Order: sequence, then C-alpha cells, then structure tokens
Amino acid sequence: MKAGYKKVKRMTTFMRINHWVVAICMVAAVITGLYIGHPYYQTLIAEPAVDKYVMAWNRWVHLMAAIIFDVSSIVIAYLYFFSRFEKPILKLLPTPKNIVEFFAVFLNLITFNRVKKFDSSHADSFNTVYFLIFHLLLVWMLFTGLQLYVQGLESGHSSIGDWWPALLHWATDWTVAFTGGTNMDVRYWHHMSMYFIIVWVMFHIYYQVWRTIYWQEGDIAIAFGGSKFAKEK
Amino acid sequence: MDRRDALAKMFGAKGVRVNTNRGEAYYEKLRRTMEKRLNELRQTPAATKMDIQKALDAEGLSRRDFMKWASAITAMLMLPASFTPLVAEAAELMNRVPVIWIELQDCAGNSEAILRSDSPTIDELILETIDLEFNETLMAAAGYQAEAHLDEAMKTFKDKYLCVVEGSVPVGVGKEWCTIGAKGETFEEHLLRVAGDSAAVVAVGTCATFGGVPAAAPNPTGAVGVQDIVKGKPIINIPACPANPANITGTIIHFVLTGQIPELDHLNRPKFAFGYRIHDNCERRAHFDAGEFVEEWGDEGAQNNWCLYKMGCKGPMTFNNCSIVRYNSGTNWPIGAGHGCIGCSEPQFWDKYAYERPMADAHIKAPTGGVEKSVDQFGLGLLTAAGVGIAIHAAVSATAGKKDEE
Repeated sequence: MKAGYKKVKRMTTFMRINHWVVAICMVAAVITGLYIGHPYYQTLIAEPAVDKYVMAWNRWVHLMAAIIFDVSSIVIAYLYFFSRFEKPILKLLPTPKNIVEFFAVFLNLITFNRVKKFDSSHADSFNTVYFLIFHLLLVWMLFTGLQLYVQGLESGHSSIGDWWPALLHWATDWTVAFTGGTNMDVRYWHHMSMYFIIVWVMFHIYYQVWRTIYWQEGDIAIAFGGSKFAKEK
Repeated sequence: MDRRDALAKMFGAKGVRVNTNRGEAYYEKLRRTMEKRLNELRQTPAATKMDIQKALDAEGLSRRDFMKWASAITAMLMLPASFTPLVAEAAELMNRVPVIWIELQDCAGNSEAILRSDSPTIDELILETIDLEFNETLMAAAGYQAEAHLDEAMKTFKDKYLCVVEGSVPVGVGKEWCTIGAKGETFEEHLLRVAGDSAAVVAVGTCATFGGVPAAAPNPTGAVGVQDIVKGKPIINIPACPANPANITGTIIHFVLTGQIPELDHLNRPKFAFGYRIHDNCERRAHFDAGEFVEEWGDEGAQNNWCLYKMGCKGPMTFNNCSIVRYNSGTNWPIGAGHGCIGCSEPQFWDKYAYERPMADAHIKAPTGGVEKSVDQFGLGLLTAAGVGIAIHAAVSATAGKKDEE
C-alpha cells in the first residue's frame, strides 16, 4: 500500500452482493417493464403454433426482479437500524453534526472539490440521504407494483395460499385512492416512478466516478472490493 | 378457524374475495330467508297484469328456456344449483316489486340496451314484467300528469320500491339548466326526493355510478354519481356503458329473493358481476401471453384475433363480467368484435381509459399540470435534464475542479 494511505472497509460482502443483485434486477425490471407498458418488439418471429410466451416471459422476469427487490428492501430496511457494520439511521437523524456534514459534502460537490471540509473515510450524511431517496422510491414501486399484481388475483387464491392476495390488498389498496382513484392512476405512477429511479441511478454512477477521479481515494472500488483508501492525517 | 383463515380475515380488505362456497349452514339460512321473503311477496297483489309466463308465451319461449335461464342466473349469483326453483319463482314474482326508474343527465343508453333488441332475451323480458311505476323514456304521461303519477307511486310504495337511476347528477355551476317535470325541479332535487322514500337505490350505467361521460374533463356541469349525492340509503352500482341487462336483472332478482342488496365491492358494485377482471377471462389472453398483438386496424394480427393491448385495450385494468356473460344474450362483446376494452365500468373511464393506445402512451396530464405530456415524454425530459446537469458538472469539474493530490 502506498505510504500515507490507509485502507478503510466501507461495504460488507453482503452489502456488495445486495448492491449488484439490485443493480441487475433494476436493469431487468426497466427493460421488461417498458415492454409490459408498451410491447415494443413484435413477435412475428415464428409460426403461430409455437410455444413462445414473449409477454409471459417478460412478465416473469419483471415479477421475479420485483420480488427480489422487495425482499432486498426489507433486509435493507432492517439494516438501517440494526446493521452491525454501519447503521445508516445514525447518519440520517437531523443532528447538528449530520446537518453540517450534509452541507459540507454538498458544498464539495458544487465547488468541484475546491472546498473539502469533511472526513471522507466513512459514510457521509449526504450520500446516506441520497441512498434513502432510492430506498423510498423502491418502497413506492413495491406498493404500487404489488397493487397492480394483486389485480390479477381477483379469485382471492394464489399458489401459496389465500393469505397472500389478502395481505396485498390490505397493504396496497390505499395506493389506488392515493394516486387518483383508478387502477390506471396506479399504473401511471408506477411507470413515472421508473424515470425517477433511472435519474437517481444516473447521478449515483456519475457521483461515484466523480469522487474516484477528484478525491483520488479509489471510491469506485468500494462496490467491488468493499474498501477504499483514505489519506492518513 | 385455521391460521390461514385468521390471517385472511385480519388482512382481508373489503372487496377482496369472491367467495363462491360459504358452507351448508350459510345456504340453509339463506334459503329460509328467501322462502319467507317470496311467501310475503306472493301474498301481495300483483301490481301489473304482465307476468313472465305471458311474456314468454308472446315470444314463443318455452318453460324449458325459462328454466335454463334461471339456472344460468343462479350460477351468476353464485348460489348452489338447488336454488334454481327459488330464482325461477322470484322471476315469476317480479311484477310485485315496484320500481321507479328516473333518468338524469345521460343518453338513455342503458334503457336502450334493454329495450332495443329485435329478439328480446329472458333478461330483458324479466325487466318488462317488473312493476315499473315510472320511467320518463317509456311512459305516455307528461307534465303534471306524470308528476302526479310519480307522487302517487312514491306514496303507495313508500320504503318498498327500488329507485333505479340512469344518468349523472349535475351539481356545478349551471346545474339549474338541467331541470325535470312541470315544476322545474333540478336533477339533484329530483333524485333526492325519489331516492329518499325508496328501499334501495340502484345506479345503472357509468354516468349514474361515477359521473361517466358527462363528468369527463372539463366536466362543465359538475356531474357526479348517485353515491356522491344520496346518503343513508343502500346503493348498488351497476356501471358499464351501457350496463349489461344481465347484471341489472341479477341485482333486481337478488333483491326480490332476499329483500337485501347483494355483496358489494369497494366501489359498491355487486361482486357477482364485478369481481372478475376482463383480462383474466378474455378469449384473446393467450395471444397477450405470447406477445402477439394487433399493431393496426385490419392487419395480419387483427385478422387472426390477436391481443388488442397495443390498440389500447384496458382489459388488464377493468373489472367486469363482459368476458364471461357478454352482451345481447351472449352474442358478442367489444373484444370479440375486434375492438379493445375501454374500461367503461371503471371510475373516470372517459379520461383515463378510453383511448386507443397502450397505457405507456397515455396522454395524461403531467404532474406539473398544464401541458399535456405522456409519461414517457416527461420521463425522457427528466432524464435529459439530469444528463445535462451531470455533463455540466463534469465539464466544470474537469476544467475548474481541483483534483486531490496523490
């Protein structure tokens, strides 16, 4: 290791696996979700009497990605409070220290790294708030998506029992009233929120690359190796 | 109760489950209620000379046709097959249930759907035999004479008649333009007066249930549905444009049988009719799963009866039984005729469902209001804005930023 630098651990193995699983699920959900909203390629690729199920496979991938997303969200929600590595909730509480750090990191971004008055060796409030926005968007997609899903289980039965659609109705029926009163409004917001998530991802990738380039601490390696390098004071 | 039932009960929202088997004890109790009710009805004098036997004879339909119909209605109402004789009896006693049918802001399409067929179905004949005390479209009387008849019917059958409403209620600016009768009652006053003395209110068609077409943007008359105006009365909504005569008959038969309203979903629609999603019982569903879509009217896909989703079919978001019951005595229905569903039994359908584009191409107002943009146009704009922002930040970082020293 280069003199004057120390290695700091920033993501556990589980966090990294989760990160990439979620990333893959997101790409899959966007590609298949766009198809479900508006089938953009035609399946005149075979004779009619062929087992093709193009829409069925798109929905299968979409729903699989979604349920992995959902379970991941529940685990992450738990880790916000009970992680043995770093509890994100501690960086989200509006304490004076966190507020100062939030604006210090934001100032660093908008001054193009000319001002850097914070410790970049651990998770900072700005990035944690940014992750929180992502997780809230995911929870919103979870509720609206499961509402759309349960509309197809109108018999009240499912392969895993009647409790599942009942639970989904109980947990997600409010989204219909909340978005405007019709099933169509739920679809509209589920579709719209996808764009907010893509915008979120765009900035997320940009910001991590930008930090790597301007801070020279190898931040991009966190998602792969779990650690970065911080200058020793 | 096992654990699964307990969980279902705990989390079961209203309108969730279409329960088709409630156990013997339940049906036995129901049978006793119905028998008692039908006995009471039999004691009361028939209000019209018309009865179903005469109507059947006039159309050349046999007793066997009638019993076939009765077993179909029994199944539709989700009753065990042993209830068929009771349903048949209820149909025979239909002329003892007074109905006052009022018409508000609408096109009379629901009346037309029932009346204008050259070979009436038994559903339609049943509606002919009901004791229809008042109906603006059909009756000969007008002006003060009609008013007097309405008043008399309301007085005679107070708290016993069914108030059927067709059409929306204008309550906005200019509601005084819509008046009815010789005294110039507004529609709202008319509805409140007639519904006030009824046993139950049946809103027929999407205008009466959710405001329908008159309530579509910009809703110049401030049209609303019956349930927004009438309070403290049981209300049954039978939306669709027009409402299916089978569902109207089913609801009225249920009322005749039990004196009660059928089980309703969260939008006050009978579950026996609106508990199913069109998409899930559609004959073209396999083409949806296969990804075989009609791309334009009359193309190869259209000729092969492929899925109409890309032509804007709203079957996946619409709850109604047209894919099972169909219209005109099971003759056909919109998707069978090659046009997608327009979601006519859902609230706000004219603004949010009735367009010939898939959902993702819907031109619904963007959250910022004003300009009409599709979600994708808005989303692409959002992505571009974010991209431009990132590009500017990157460019300034590269030229004016300070890279930390190694």
